[in-house]
Amino acid sequence: MKYATDYGYEIKPVYGPRDVEGLEYERDLGDPGRFPYTRGYHAQGYRSRMWTRRMTAGLGSSRDTNAVLKKYREMGQHGGICVIHDRVSSSCIDADHPLARRENGVLGWPGSSLAEFEELMDDIPLTGQSITVLGCCAPSTLRLAYVVALAEARGVDLAEIHGSVTESPFGNVFGQTDVQPFDLDMKLFLDASEYIVRNGIRMRAGLVGQHFQESGGNNAQALAIELSMLKEICGRLVAERGLEFDDAMRVPYQLVSIGTRFFEEIAKVRALRRMWAKMAKEHFGAKNEKSCQLLIAVHTSGRTMTYQQPLNNIARCAIETLAGAMVGCTALDNATLDNAYAEPSALAARMSLNTQHIVAVETGVADVVDPLAGSYFVERLTHEVETAAYRVLEEIDALGGLVAAIEKGYIETMLKREANLKFQELNSKERLVVGVNHLVIPPEEEMFQVPVQAIEVSDAEAIAKRMADWKKTRDMAPIEASVRRLHADAEKGDRFNLMPAIIDAVKAYATAGEIMGAIRLARGLSYDPFKLIRCPYEL
Amino acid sequence: MKVILSMIGLDSHTTGAEVVATLLRDAGFEVVYLGTNQTPAMIVDAAIEEDADVIGISLHASNFALVDDLMDLIEKHQLTDVPVVCGGHVPPQQIERLLARGVAKVFPPGSSGNAIVDYLAGLACRA
Repeated sequence: MKYATDYGYEIKPVYGPRDVEGLEYERDLGDPGRFPYTRGYHAQGYRSRMWTRRMTAGLGSSRDTNAVLKKYREMGQHGGICVIHDRVSSSCIDADHPLARRENGVLGWPGSSLAEFEELMDDIPLTGQSITVLGCCAPSTLRLAYVVALAEARGVDLAEIHGSVTESPFGNVFGQTDVQPFDLDMKLFLDASEYIVRNGIRMRAGLVGQHFQESGGNNAQALAIELSMLKEICGRLVAERGLEFDDAMRVPYQLVSIGTRFFEEIAKVRALRRMWAKMAKEHFGAKNEKSCQLLIAVHTSGRTMTYQQPLNNIARCAIETLAGAMVGCTALDNATLDNAYAEPSALAARMSLNTQHIVAVETGVADVVDPLAGSYFVERLTHEVETAAYRVLEEIDALGGLVAAIEKGYIETMLKREANLKFQELNSKERLVVGVNHLVIPPEEEMFQVPVQAIEVSDAEAIAKRMADWKKTRDMAPIEASVRRLHADAEKGDRFNLMPAIIDAVKAYATAGEIMGAIRLARGLSYDPFKLIRCPYEL
Repeated sequence: MKVILSMIGLDSHTTGAEVVATLLRDAGFEVVYLGTNQTPAMIVDAAIEEDADVIGISLHASNFALVDDLMDLIEKHQLTDVPVVCGGHVPPQQIERLLARGVAKVFPPGSSGNAIVDYLAGLACRA
C-alpha cells in the first residue's frame, strides 16, 4: 500500500497543530461567505439552497431521452436536468451522415437539430430548474440557439432560464474529442459566451476539469488545469471580446471530478475555491465579489466505477457523493453502478439519485457548512494540493498559458505519463481496488447481472432514416437563406459573432451538419470533416 | 510482432488504448496506433499496409456493431490469420457475441498488463 496523495505527497499516520502552523483563519479560510471562500459562498450553506441532485441522461432517440428525464423527475430530480449528446451530434455531423448510421443515440442524445431539442424538452419546463446539456464543445452555439429558439416559441422570458449548454474547447484535448479544429471550437465558444453576457442570459459555460481527471490526471494537475482554463477563457473574453472581467465571470462554471480518495477530493475543491478567489482579485482585478466565487458542480468519477462486482460501485458512489456534499458543491451528478457497462439503467439511476437523497436528508451532512474545516489533516492537504497545483500552473504560465501549453504537447505528455503511472500502480498493487486487483472473484461467482441498457443497431439506423426523411419535409427557402447569411458572416473574421446567424439558421431548422458545414467552408475547410458528403447548397 | 491498435468509429475515449500502446511498446512489441475516427475499412487497410500480426480494438461500452463490420471485412480480405483482440468496456453478453463472431479475445477493464502481454506473446509463438 502506498501512503501518498495521488500527486505524490507523503501522507503521515497522524496530523497535529504543527501541520497547520502557518494557517491564518481570516486570511486563508474565512467564514463561509467571506473571501477567500475556502469554506464556501453561503453563510447558511445548504440550508439556504440544497445542491441540485441530478443524473445525466441521453440514450436512443430524443423521445427515449425525454421519457428518461420524466422518469428522473419522478425519482426526485427537481433542481435541474442534465443531458449529454451522442457522438454524432457532439461532432456536429447529422444522423444521416454515412459514419453516423451505427452511432446515433449511442451513449447520448442525438441532438443535431432544433426538432430534436423540441422532442427532448416536450412537456418539460425550461424554467424552475437548471437546463444542462453536455457533450463536447462543437455543438455549444447550437445548444444555446436551441434554448433561445424554444424559449421564444414557448413565450418564456430568456432571462428566467438558467443552467449551462456550452462547453469549453479544452475537452477536445482531454478525451472528449469532437472532430472540429480547436481554433474553430474556441472561436464559437467565445461567440456563445459573449452573446450570453451581452444579452443578459443567465446560462453558464462549462469548463470541465472532470474530463482531464477522468483521462488520468491527478488532483494537483486537475486544479492547475481548471485554473488555467479559467485564466485563458476569462482573459480572452476581456482581451478579444472587450468584456469587463466582472461580466465575463458571469459565464464560467467548473465541473470537477470526485473520486474515492475522500479527504484529498475535499481538499482539492476547497483549494479550488481559494485559488480562484485569489486569481480573480489579484490577476483580473475583480471589483464584484461574485466574480471571486467560482460556481462548482461535481461529477462523481465514472473511472472509479469498476466492471468487476458492480454492486461495489454503490459504496464508491456513496463515498464520493458524501465528499461532494461535504465540500459544498452547487450541483452533483452521479456515476452509476453500471457505468463500466452502458448508460444507466433505471435501477442504477434510481440507486444513484437515492444515494444523493440519502446523503442530503438522512445523514445530517448538509446541516453544517464545511464541516471538516479546522481538521489538521484536511487543512494540511488543502495547503499541499494548492502548493503542488501552483507549481504546475507556473509551468503552464511559463509556456504562455494553457493553449500554448497544449500546442507544445506539454499537457498531453503530462496526462499520458499520469495515466500510465496509475495503470502501473494497479498492476503492482500499490493501489488496491476491491474486485479488480484485490479480493478478486472468478466471473462465475459474480452474483449480480447488471441489466445492460444499450441501443440496438436498428435503433441507430432508425434515427438516421428519420433524419433523412425529415430533411425532405423542411421548407428549404428559409434554410438556404439563413445558411447563406451564416456563411457570409463566418467570412468576416474570428471576432465577428456568429450567434445571431446561428440562431436564425437553427430556427429555420437547419441541422448541425449544415450549420457547421457552412462555417467550415467560410474558413477554408471541407464542408464535411470526413469529406464524405458535399454541401447541398450553393454558397 | 507488429500490433495495429485503434479506436473504432467516433469514440474518443482514448486513455485505455494509449496506456495499452505504451505497455506493449515497453514489452518489445511494435505498435502502430491509429488513433480516433477510424472506420473498419481504414483499420483493415492499415493492417494490410503494415502487414500487422494482430489487430487491437479499444471499445467504450458501444460500437460493437462496427466490430461486426470489421470482422466481415477481414473475412473478405482473407486476413483471418490476423487475430482481432478487443479491450475496454464490453458487457459479458457482448463478449460472448464477439467471440462467436470470430474475435480472438476480449480484455475487460481491470485486466492486468501481464495478462495482455502474455496473451499477445502466446500469439507470437503460434505465428
